[in-house]
Amino acid sequence: MALMQISEPGQTPEPHQRKLAVGIDLGTTNSLVASVRNAHADTLADLGGEHLLPSAVYYAETGETLVGAAALAGASADPSNTLMSVKRFMGRSFADCTAASGAKMLPYELLDQGQDMVKIRTRAGDISPVQVSAEILRSLAARAEETLGGELTGAVITVPAYFDDAQRQATKDAAKIAGIHVLRLLNEPTAAAVAYGLDQQDEMAIAVFDLGGGTFDISVLQLTKGVFEVLSTGGDSALGGDDFDHAIADWFVAATGLENLDMFQQRSLLTAARQAKEALSDAETVNVVLGDLSQSLSREQFNSLVDPLIDTAIRACKRALRDAKLRSEDIANVVMVGGSTRVPRVRERVAQWFGREPLVDLDPDRVVALGAALQADQLVGNRSGDEMLLLDVIPLSLGIETMGGLTEKVIHRNTTIPVAMAQEFTTFKDGQTAMAIHVVQGERELVEDCRSLARFELQGIPPMVAGAARIKVKFQVDADGLLQVFATEESTGVESHIAVKPAYGLNDTDIADMLKSSWEAAADDKDARALREQQIEADSLLQALSAALLQDGEAMLSEAEQQDLLAKMETLHHEREQGTVASIAKHIEIVGKASELFAERRMDASINQALAGRRVDEL
Amino acid sequence: MSVFNPQENYFALLAVPQAYELDISALTSSYRALQREAHPDRFASGSERDLRMAVQQSSFINEAYETLVSPTRRAAYLLKLAGVNSDMSSTTFQDPEFLMQQMQLREELSELQDAKDPEQALDVFYRDLDQAAKSQKEAFSQSYNQQQFDLALAAYAKLQFLEKLRSEAELKESELLDY
Repeated sequence: MALMQISEPGQTPEPHQRKLAVGIDLGTTNSLVASVRNAHADTLADLGGEHLLPSAVYYAETGETLVGAAALAGASADPSNTLMSVKRFMGRSFADCTAASGAKMLPYELLDQGQDMVKIRTRAGDISPVQVSAEILRSLAARAEETLGGELTGAVITVPAYFDDAQRQATKDAAKIAGIHVLRLLNEPTAAAVAYGLDQQDEMAIAVFDLGGGTFDISVLQLTKGVFEVLSTGGDSALGGDDFDHAIADWFVAATGLENLDMFQQRSLLTAARQAKEALSDAETVNVVLGDLSQSLSREQFNSLVDPLIDTAIRACKRALRDAKLRSEDIANVVMVGGSTRVPRVRERVAQWFGREPLVDLDPDRVVALGAALQADQLVGNRSGDEMLLLDVIPLSLGIETMGGLTEKVIHRNTTIPVAMAQEFTTFKDGQTAMAIHVVQGERELVEDCRSLARFELQGIPPMVAGAARIKVKFQVDADGLLQVFATEESTGVESHIAVKPAYGLNDTDIADMLKSSWEAAADDKDARALREQQIEADSLLQALSAALLQDGEAMLSEAEQQDLLAKMETLHHEREQGTVASIAKHIEIVGKASELFAERRMDASINQALAGRRVDEL
Repeated sequence: MSVFNPQENYFALLAVPQAYELDISALTSSYRALQREAHPDRFASGSERDLRMAVQQSSFINEAYETLVSPTRRAAYLLKLAGVNSDMSSTTFQDPEFLMQQMQLREELSELQDAKDPEQALDVFYRDLDQAAKSQKEAFSQSYNQQQFDLALAAYAKLQFLEKLRSEAELKESELLDY
């Protein structure tokens, strides 16, 4: 006979009903879903046992939409209907995408939508990147519901820390289309730190080095008893493992003299490049093969192909540390995230620069999803007691356009979110009843160098004399990093409110450029004179050297020395035309150095001449 | 959730005494404790209204913390609480010693790029800057405690100048060290 179950008063025989929540890493190349079961976070596999879902969607002739490996299977046969790496186009216009470096070898057709987000032409119609992402999210959610046996309460979806308002909004829109309740958009590096459980220790600073397929993020975090504070974040939203593939592909094209590759060849070449990259993690040399063409690539060659790309990443690390007011020796741990950190050269350079071996214990492809799952579990209330708190920052400054096309920063980058800031404005004409407000995101001083987020008009300002109205504009950034703007006329209470509907006017490269140039070229923003001064200095140096070369070059320099100096002068001339204050100054120095020997010899010669002359006189 | 009062004094909110001298670790730990309660993540499965309230409250706590944790912003906030207008546009300096120091620091800054080891020269410059700031902070604290707000205001103005120098140095650092 069955035993009767007797439960404690006030308790149900069922254990506490856990809510189902997942973490989703919506990646450029691969996506993952993870959840916490029995206090342990794990990624969920599909029926075939695969955890990684390739971020690919195939619109088949039959009208079916295939996602993941099934979609990839069609890639080489029907590239124009197989959409991959669309994360790069989230929240981006056509102009943005075509300017981005990785987009040059795209095997499908992008459609210009003007200022709106780009679309992709497929046989199923013109598809937005948001829709493609929604397909991927839907597939992951379905996998989770099958595995976990119930309906999802919500999901934490990760985004690169670097994502701006438009990209975050697009991601959230994709989840909405897929019918997923977003508990939080979480920055990928923060998720990775959570996954490592580094919060258990008392207090330390860590760096998260995240080199994915299409983006690079570096974040510096302070961990204190379960509180994850992002101190600074930086990176390059157009740098990733895809660029390594492209570097190999470009090298192959140059080495073989191939021309006019069609879509199929491009796709095959990129696949071969990726395989070569992966093989070089173990092998010293590989053959890159396309059709009947074959080229051998050594690891050393590969390292020199990717070193310039890694340099970019290291520069961003320096910047992030400086923003965090820390030095590399203050960093207790470096967490490696993203498949591209498997490249030995990347690990080598990171270890070298930080002066310590990075943490690679957790699978760099899964670590973000695991952290997101832990956060999701907590947000739906499954985890209590040792609660963690994740304090993220805003990656790019927010500002408004003021007179003369200048930006006035209202919220500075790396400010902890959520954050609200208010700024007061006034009318500049008698009886002015409307006021246009232009919200921008970026670090530069000129509005045209920043990304335009929104324009809106505050109307119905009561007519007053110029300067009497007091318009208070409040910027509110929520914990997901999404912006809302409120404007109020203080003396009358006329109110206007918008959730920023982003104008998709800026590309990934622009963001990277915006950040990069804001520190490289901040001087020429502030003062065009500084640029002019450097140009004049470059001119006088070039003129003096040209004259001297004409006179004594043949006599005093070898052919090779002359060629070297001329090449450096040529570069300086180029920088003088197109470079920044910093780059011109740098090349003035380079040319100055290169001409030292020449100057010395000329000096010696003139002294000899002078002495010789005297002797003649004396005689 | 406790009642959100945007008029609340930042010092009271973060449970530290209203003074210029501040125990930063006490400030930081009560900041974290407050965010644990108020952060929107606590209301992720709550109502829209709760979430909106949490965003506002959490933003306010962030603003309070960032104001108090910065020595310069903290000085301005104390002056504001004391009813002193800290708008700098009308301030002039009548302190030849400070002016001299400013000139020296500016010179040091402009000569950085010619230094043999610019990175080291920068470190020296930052140290000089910290030193100068330290004495102004002490001056502010002393004047403020004695309620000599005109002197406190002057010290605050100098702190602002030093801060401006620091951000110029940071710009220079980025150029010099090729960030």
